Amino acid sequence: MEIDLREVEGIVNELGRETEAVIPILQAIQGKYNYLPEEALRRVCEISEITPGQIVGVASFYSQFRFRPAGQHMIKVCVGTACHVKGAVQVYDAIRRELEMESTEDTTPSGKYTVEKVNCLGCCTLAPVVQIDRVTYGHVSTAQVRSILKDFESQAGAGKSKSKFRYADGSEVKGEIRIGLGSCCVASGSDEIRDAVKDTIERKSLNVKLKHVGCVGMCHQVPLVEVVPVNGESSLYSKVNAADVEQIVEQHFQPEGFLKRVSNRLLKVADTFRDDSRWEGIDRYSLDVREKHVSSFLGKQVPVATEFRGIINPIDVEEYKERHGFLGLKKALTRLSPEQVVQHIIDSGIRGRGGAGFPTGQKWKLVASAESDQKYVICNGDEGDPGAFMDRMLLESYPYRILEGMIAAGYAVGASRGILYIRAEYPLAVTRVSEAIDICREEGFLGKNILGTGFDFDLRVYQGAGAFVCGEETALMESIEGKRGFPRIRPPFPAVKGLWGKPTLINNTETFAQIAYILKNSPEQFSRIGKGASRGTKVFALAGKVARGGLIEVPMGMTIREVVEEVGGGVAGGRSFKAVQIGGPSGGCVPSWKADTPIDFESLNEVGAMMGSGGLVVLDDTDCMVDIARYFLTFTQNEACGKCSFGRIGTKRMLEILEKITSGRGEETDLENLEKLAEWTRKGSLCGLCRTAPNPILSTLMYFREEYEAHIRGECPAGRCKELIKYEITDDCIGCTLCAQECPVEAIEFKPHEKHEVKQDLCIQCDGCRQVCPEDAVIIR
Amino acid sequence: MIKLKIDNREVKADEGSTLISVIRESGTEVPSMCYLEDLDHFTSCMVCVVKERESGKMIPSCSRKVEEGMDIITLDEEVREARKTALDLMLSEHVGDCEAPCQVTCPAHMDIPLMNRLLAQGKFREALRVVMKDIALPAVLGRICPAPCEGACRRKPMDGAVSICLLKRYAGDHDLEQETPWNTERATSTGKKVAVVGAGPAGLAAAYHLSLLGHDCVVLDRNRLAGGSMRKEVTEDQLPGEVLDREIDRIAAAGVTFRLGQEVDLKMFTGLTGQYDAVILAVGKGNSGIGDWGLPAGSRGVDADPSTYRVDDTTLFVVGSAFKPSKMAIRALGQGKEASFSVDQFLKGKKVTGEPFLFNSRFGKLLPEEYPEYLKESVPGDRIEPEQISGGFTPRQVMEEAARCLHCDCRDLNTCKLRIYSDQYGADQRRFRSEERVTCRKLDQHDVVIYEPSKCIKCGICVRITEKHSEKYGLTFIGRGFEVVVGIPFNESLGSGLQKVAVEAAEACPTGSLTLK
Repeated sequence: MEIDLREVEGIVNELGRETEAVIPILQAIQGKYNYLPEEALRRVCEISEITPGQIVGVASFYSQFRFRPAGQHMIKVCVGTACHVKGAVQVYDAIRRELEMESTEDTTPSGKYTVEKVNCLGCCTLAPVVQIDRVTYGHVSTAQVRSILKDFESQAGAGKSKSKFRYADGSEVKGEIRIGLGSCCVASGSDEIRDAVKDTIERKSLNVKLKHVGCVGMCHQVPLVEVVPVNGESSLYSKVNAADVEQIVEQHFQPEGFLKRVSNRLLKVADTFRDDSRWEGIDRYSLDVREKHVSSFLGKQVPVATEFRGIINPIDVEEYKERHGFLGLKKALTRLSPEQVVQHIIDSGIRGRGGAGFPTGQKWKLVASAESDQKYVICNGDEGDPGAFMDRMLLESYPYRILEGMIAAGYAVGASRGILYIRAEYPLAVTRVSEAIDICREEGFLGKNILGTGFDFDLRVYQGAGAFVCGEETALMESIEGKRGFPRIRPPFPAVKGLWGKPTLINNTETFAQIAYILKNSPEQFSRIGKGASRGTKVFALAGKVARGGLIEVPMGMTIREVVEEVGGGVAGGRSFKAVQIGGPSGGCVPSWKADTPIDFESLNEVGAMMGSGGLVVLDDTDCMVDIARYFLTFTQNEACGKCSFGRIGTKRMLEILEKITSGRGEETDLENLEKLAEWTRKGSLCGLCRTAPNPILSTLMYFREEYEAHIRGECPAGRCKELIKYEITDDCIGCTLCAQECPVEAIEFKPHEKHEVKQDLCIQCDGCRQVCPEDAVIIR
Repeated sequence: MIKLKIDNREVKADEGSTLISVIRESGTEVPSMCYLEDLDHFTSCMVCVVKERESGKMIPSCSRKVEEGMDIITLDEEVREARKTALDLMLSEHVGDCEAPCQVTCPAHMDIPLMNRLLAQGKFREALRVVMKDIALPAVLGRICPAPCEGACRRKPMDGAVSICLLKRYAGDHDLEQETPWNTERATSTGKKVAVVGAGPAGLAAAYHLSLLGHDCVVLDRNRLAGGSMRKEVTEDQLPGEVLDREIDRIAAAGVTFRLGQEVDLKMFTGLTGQYDAVILAVGKGNSGIGDWGLPAGSRGVDADPSTYRVDDTTLFVVGSAFKPSKMAIRALGQGKEASFSVDQFLKGKKVTGEPFLFNSRFGKLLPEEYPEYLKESVPGDRIEPEQISGGFTPRQVMEEAARCLHCDCRDLNTCKLRIYSDQYGADQRRFRSEERVTCRKLDQHDVVIYEPSKCIKCGICVRITEKHSEKYGLTFIGRGFEVVVGIPFNESLGSGLQKVAVEAAEACPTGSLTLK
């Protein structure tokens, strides 16, 4: 590929010559060329302060960057927790088989597709999820791989228009139609719904406002459409089809003017003669909020960070202000001293929501009392837990709330600059927050002399480049400084010596999202919610084998059982509840017989788990606990930074043992060795990533040791681990031959009307036959 | 001034000092590998951990500043285990030999690579000196030894093992042709007397080395000619008697006296025990009659400590086939040499612990893709065979064959911190062994230094040094996590990478990964 070095120079001119500009420069170069050509990198070094060592060191550290060109189209297979438990690995393998890829390559021979595994796209309730360029496919099974590729190829070239936020013309509004447009909703087709609604409203000249709202949280029902007539009750429709939109709209709104109405009726009648299918029960999609499952899902939740969910347009600042937005900030800036603000936070009892649970007020106090000419506030939006998408939702749906929290924090601790560090994988969040920042500047909430109080504060967004370890606060700061994300030892703590050596307040996104509530109401109102030493609420991403998955915000102290059964609707598909995994790769599992454990920091620690950032994955009897431990350790080992001996080598060796065990080569001594390694990796690692990496192993060993022992004997009781299971066809087989057709390796002979058989030596355990069998005649032994 | 406690001692330190410096200045040793005084700390290797008494937490002492009221335990069981575990982990990814496999396999532990280097340069006498440090009968063994060293030679699967045995033989033969066969200077007489019963390889070696150490040794044997099984069980073709005679003469020239044709029975043995400060039994496996002497019996021979060869707390030592039957003369000879160390300790009133053998890092066979890498330090070519085995090598053949050595021994044998600490803490390379390993590479395109990434422990010292001195390319971390390697950006050569600070970086490298050529 021809590289025009002047383009590279242009990038450097724009982004800066200092060493800390390296990551944005690399992102811009890759944005232009689809990879990082060596000549471009060399040129950057020639014309800036960045050295070859730095640029190669940094580029090779972060997953986002490629040194070789990628294919024309990127196929991303999500391997987040929820997708994993629903079979993402098989889907990935199936795609590679379908595209006939070489085992050592990630790009097809023709250069058309690059296939990669990605950590959590954040659409967990649509698991397994595959994203091809900008198109997201949900609920992908191995049997559907061929069809999604075909579907993508048929769509390719059909440009999608950029989504914009548009309002009706302001004339008398009959009501509002609200459509959820969080990333998850969009992935399930809300874009089309929105287009259909817009189309319907325009065609029928209805005076109805179309409003985009952020995440409602009921991810298991998307696409969601809520109809709110000016007079009358609102109705919630779930899993809406574009074809049904017209009927839904009509049910509630009639066009102005007699003639319009008549013409509409005539049109409608004509349409129905053409196509019968439309009559079919749209009624069954209509949800009454009073309906049990909706009210169960929503009823027990307490929105603090997610206040006004589903109602508020994420980017509409006027609406935010109408709903008490920036009230807390105003109060803080005009009526409270910085010390008083800090005290409010202390009194509220809020603890960090990123996982460690450090008392937030105390942290603010430490930064406030540090003496320095410059201080910083950082919002940690590098949510990397596979299966956790709370912060993404908060950033996409409530950007102003987070900004408000940060500005108040800046005031309280004496900082004048702030940074929102947002993961590379959250492009919508980056756009929304950047836009919100611009609007805040216009409104006078950011910049110099905010609200006339003499307080200066400004913010910018910094995009991560793909490294889970950068969620660790010291590694995050290294990243902003343009270096590899190696954690630093603490002490000194960021509160004393943080970004650029200055006192820095760094809090998780969700923590900031709750500040406004505390300030606008009162610390007591916040601390009244919750239990024990864990006050307030927590946002969780409920996913896995649960009937109603989604984003929920519940008071601290609610039990696991309540969350799983009442809010989540219990385990789906008639299977039995086995355990929940809380806290992602740093967390632990809590078995079903301990489901009455309250969800608060202390109680979870007592049972060997950890709050974590909010991932809550429900597991049933078809989930293998050893596989789950291996899954999480694969993740952490892959993300380990490599700096310290215990972390770098300890996690690798533990993973090797787990892989031995899950592939049937386990030995008696392995469990002991595993435990010893786990103990030492915990004690000796430099930072929280590898220190907590052994947690899933230790907690599954504690509660499900017999599963490990079964694997060593050569069995996988849950029927998951490929090398230990066999696919067999029972007598229920009707000889329909679907399995033989599906099998990618011809392990099933085509015998119409006869009982089919799986040839064990050829079978690759791809699960395809079991998925297509109409009689459920394929079992796993 | 900051006041803190180190191992319950009150210590005062300047504010801002690093904990490890303060501990070291107070007289206590703390190991460290990734820490270098003039560089920013990196907190990587974790061997410098010490314990905070109150919390029980392990803290890396190189990365903490002293704080008022700190209460530190520098070494207890847990700290020891922590350091050992860190070393065990690092060893599991450290692919390299300390001593070469040939040396480790040799029962006499001879420094074969060094011998090869000297022979390749034509320095035959110096080469012999190296051999005789461990092998008292080079020309003899060069004719009768089955050469387990060649079995271990890394060159073997490539194009034939280095012909170590014949090389050694040449060194021995060459010396015998000189005016005076070479011997080390004998140390000043200690006045101690040692009786060695049996003039086979074990006894001869023991007597030789002890004599050089200054002790008066007498070797008794019932045969009229010394040599033991070397005389009796080897053909004249294979080992001409004359060669054996002349090497035994050399031993005599080192101060050993012989009383040949002297049968030692129980009565005489008891007498010897009374008259001599130490007695060494090297009677071999034949029917020597010692079975009736009431000595403690082990499973295969007389029972003695395997590291010191000493029988309980007595003045008696047992070596060779009398201790454990063996078909290899070299093994008996090696034991004789090792025993001389413990007997020497005994005679000097020191604690008898036996000859210490330092920790060795080892790894399995070379993979075919690694052959070209190892050949970088050697010459191509098949193993050379002599015209006739009995004739041995010509001088030119010696130099060519010795040049085929791959020099598997590490250049930093004596200075490598990983080796030193692994030895100190009893580290175990096999504890966390994996089924896979990285492939060995040797980056040698540099005048002064050579870099072997497979030995690197990722401490980052070289990265920090090149950064500090603004090397244009320098060395940098590439990749992340377990797969991280230290390399030169843009795949430039080592020469480009280290233009200014090669020597400094090589000297600072705590292992043998980056070293001076």
